[in-house]
Amino acid sequence: MMTRHFDASQFTQNRQFEADIVIIGSGAGGGIAAEQLAQAGFKVLLLEEGAWYTRDDFVMQERWAYPQLYQEGAARKSRDQAISILQGRTVGGSTTVNWTTSIRTPSPTLDYWSAEFGVNFSDDADLTPYFAMAEQRLNIQPWPVAPNANNAKLQQGCEKLGWQYTVINRNVNGCANLGYCGMGCPINAKQSMLVTTIPAAMALGATLISRISVRQLHWQGDSITGLDAVPVDQYFQPRSDVRIHIKAKHYIVAAGAIGSPALLLRSKVPNPSGRLGRHTYLHPTVISGALFDEAINGHSGAPQSIYSDQFVWPQHSDKAGYKLEVPPLHPVLMATKLTGTGGQHAALMQQFNHLQVTIALLRDGFHPQSQGGTVQLDDAQQPVLDYPISDYLWQGMREALLSMAELQFAAGAKQVLPIHHDAKLYNNWHEAKGAIHTLPMQALKQTVVSAHVMGGCNMSASVAKGVVNQEGRHHQLQNLSVFDGSILPTSLGANPQLTIYALVWRNCQQLITSLQ
Amino acid sequence: MDRRQFILSGIALGTAASFGIGGLSWQRSLQQHNDNRDLVLSALLPALLYGALPQDATLAATELNRTKAAVADFMPFLPQRQQQELHQLFNLLANRVTQLALTGHIAALPQLSISQRLQLLNQWRDSYLSLLQQAYHGLRELLYGAYYGQSEHWQALAYTAPRFR
Repeated sequence: MMTRHFDASQFTQNRQFEADIVIIGSGAGGGIAAEQLAQAGFKVLLLEEGAWYTRDDFVMQERWAYPQLYQEGAARKSRDQAISILQGRTVGGSTTVNWTTSIRTPSPTLDYWSAEFGVNFSDDADLTPYFAMAEQRLNIQPWPVAPNANNAKLQQGCEKLGWQYTVINRNVNGCANLGYCGMGCPINAKQSMLVTTIPAAMALGATLISRISVRQLHWQGDSITGLDAVPVDQYFQPRSDVRIHIKAKHYIVAAGAIGSPALLLRSKVPNPSGRLGRHTYLHPTVISGALFDEAINGHSGAPQSIYSDQFVWPQHSDKAGYKLEVPPLHPVLMATKLTGTGGQHAALMQQFNHLQVTIALLRDGFHPQSQGGTVQLDDAQQPVLDYPISDYLWQGMREALLSMAELQFAAGAKQVLPIHHDAKLYNNWHEAKGAIHTLPMQALKQTVVSAHVMGGCNMSASVAKGVVNQEGRHHQLQNLSVFDGSILPTSLGANPQLTIYALVWRNCQQLITSLQ
Repeated sequence: MDRRQFILSGIALGTAASFGIGGLSWQRSLQQHNDNRDLVLSALLPALLYGALPQDATLAATELNRTKAAVADFMPFLPQRQQQELHQLFNLLANRVTQLALTGHIAALPQLSISQRLQLLNQWRDSYLSLLQQAYHGLRELLYGAYYGQSEHWQALAYTAPRFR
């Protein structure tokens, strides 16, 4: 049998490869594309900057998982270091480390795209059958097990206040409710690309090259003519001693909403709309901690099983909407996000098992004052995201802190700690409300995080308003597609994996038809 | 040259120049000097981890060494530009003269009391210079991540990692 996997870091001399289709990135977009295109009979080459780790490697320890499975050791930051960005970098991309939440694209988001960007997903272009196929392929179903205490508090708070909430659909099969999805599933229960489409594509003849960083696409006229790549070292830094050249008939960029624009910027591809690497969205997220008398043990159990959309589509269009969820609680994640130093920080850490944490993800990209960030290249030609936070978003964050504190007290919290460097533990809703109203909403004072990067190569009907068309085909280069979250024209107001699966599935069908 | 590095160098090297010291160049300040990192971490960790480190001096020393090793192991995974910024911060803080510009203290970091060191970190947090704020947040996350990443340090959390295999 032919070798189906190469670890580029083992290459000792320059190499060349050829394929029908080369896919750069093996996450939600690249993973779906690899299987679809391999099934259609194309010779597929799948490239991944991270390593090919499998369940035996997943030891459920943050100190191993963050440097090995995440971009920049899970310490990726926006340019001003005010926003922390969690993004996968391993075979399977973020699907290997995400928290399994699977939500169809909200209809108001699709309506907005239709009105503003001319992309229409109704009638013949309806995504419903693609959602259904992705749900079936990845066993996406409502989580039938009772939520863990961390999620249950979100549910109880919503019930007390009469707020909307929903049981989350998860892409799992045989889940043991461990709670370590973010460090790689140790029992292959999570139906990530790592255990579903990628092995299926390889069984159909696709070749995977891991630990490879694509540096540049070469193009001439309206076509990509080849690409240059290098191996990465043991720290996933690009090396310069070995070069890899790859030629294909069609090129699919699926390196995520920071990686894809960065590669296209390095390649200086045509960009008449000026939108390449711009309008990058994050679902900027704020955090609220709460102490309960009873044990919460937020490290244990499905990390996300309840969400609330009470505030995601506010009546007044001048207000920023936000979705309420909870994160899993593990020592490094908590220690780095809890505020304070010295004894104050140590005392909070000692309450680790009694901490409930709620997060609010802001829906960015739907307002003139929310136009997202810009992917730039640093001196080493590596990406860095500049994301200025507008007053509109700061105001939304303040309201989100208020909602979360109200919810946590309603659910029975003893004390609430908004994760803001000037905030304190507050003893009741009245006290918290007064204090949150006066917190200075400023970069670095207010902790902001993100686990969803979207946009930067947005789709549009008109060449003037985007980088790719509705099928993910580049507006200027005929044999280039972008198949990942970077094609989204705004954020979603929902966790992105299922949207990417369905869009890319549909785009692959169009691509197969046009290539055959 | 990156503008941010320029500002940080500008503050510290400007001070060095005003003292007539020309030995510390911008370029040199970006390079890795493990002794400087060790000196700064040895000074800042006991303050940052005050209340978390064990009372017993020998045990505390073991935990500090483990944390310093974890910092050194983790840093190469960061982007080069961030590694350079951290090298620069360690180098400037380890140098008596440039340290003065960043801390306002003439005494070397290890000579400051724990509460002075904590006060210093809090001054950075509240500084009007976003660079010092970034130094505060960057160090804080790096060092807390390194300490609480070690399963040996989880006793106070009443947390044990699940053993699956």
